[in-house]
Amino acid sequence: MAEQGDNLEALMGQALAGDKHAYADLLRETSRFLRPFLTKHLSAGSEVDDLLQEILISIHKARHTYDGKRPYKPWAYAIAKFRLQDHLRTHYADPLRQTVELSEVENNLPEAVTESDLTYESISGEIEKLPPKQAAILRMLHQEGYTAKEAAERLGMKESAVKVAAHRAYKILRKILER
Amino acid sequence: MGNIEELVDSLAADAKPVKPAPHPVALSLGWAAAAAVYLGLSLWLSGLRPDLAEKLQEPWFAAEMVSLVFLFAATALSAAVLAFPDLHQMRKAAWAPAGLFAAFLGILFIAWRADVPPAPLPVHSFECTASITLFALLPAAWTFFSMRRFASTHYRWAGSVALLSAFSVGALWLRLHELNDSVVHVVLWHYVPMLGAGLVGWWLGKRVLRW
Repeated sequence: MAEQGDNLEALMGQALAGDKHAYADLLRETSRFLRPFLTKHLSAGSEVDDLLQEILISIHKARHTYDGKRPYKPWAYAIAKFRLQDHLRTHYADPLRQTVELSEVENNLPEAVTESDLTYESISGEIEKLPPKQAAILRMLHQEGYTAKEAAERLGMKESAVKVAAHRAYKILRKILER
Repeated sequence: MGNIEELVDSLAADAKPVKPAPHPVALSLGWAAAAAVYLGLSLWLSGLRPDLAEKLQEPWFAAEMVSLVFLFAATALSAAVLAFPDLHQMRKAAWAPAGLFAAFLGILFIAWRADVPPAPLPVHSFECTASITLFALLPAAWTFFSMRRFASTHYRWAGSVALLSAFSVGALWLRLHELNDSVVHVVLWHYVPMLGAGLVGWWLGKRVLRW
């Protein structure tokens, strides 16, 4: 950890000269002051960690654009804000951010329906009535244990298309089972 | 936190001495020098307009040329500043072209008002836009190529300004080469298309400068 007297600009100057310890101290200090900034904008702790890692990698890639002569924090925050905006843009552009998983459908069903444990097998009849592609995707995801990526590869589809199809299937199933 | 520690260790292990990027002023001066050489060579090959010495005596033509040069300088500096994540903490320099554009528009407006009776329109039209575009391709390519080595966090804005910079060199070349006095033609076929170039740069910036 950087000592009190350590100055971020000086640390970066040493890091640019190839000092590995100074660079490690600088990155630790950077993650320390960026974490509260990210926590303010993101709800999940795992998201904060993932984004923080991405920011540290970006700082590493862009370190040649810092010359050690101007304040370090505005430079680091500029990269952090850039990556945060990218992250939020991707997040809000993702049509699946509100996807309802099968387990959620099960949890939200009225008592009468969920009295008997709802499993893939118990609703397989309903699943088979879905359009063939959706049924195949649910079978692969919930019976055969494939991930969305694996299912996409096997079906020759994009991963996002598999997720969208699964999402649509969940919605149809929810309607059918709530009746 | 464990992952962060691992990442810090692996990035630190990878830390080799790095040569810091040049200052944006030095960077833009480099681009300006390259543009000056390119412009000089092009004018040497294509030839200057025969009445250039006479035209430079006209205040509004001279003002237009000077403001085009300043516009190029301002857009080059702005593009260089925008290539840095924090704009090299020179935000005002990134906005420099805005004031010069306003001054440039003012000069064109006064030149148009002073064009009485209006100079006849030349027979050609879009050929000027095409020539400027072709001329600007090389400076645009080297500016984008150079900017890709940095880390722009305003890639759309940077792309737009970079393309405007390249087009201002093209516009300067054509004004110094073409024998044409019609302000209306110049505005319609030389300068208005530059706005289109700005939009193309906005689009191109996202594709080329994103990192």
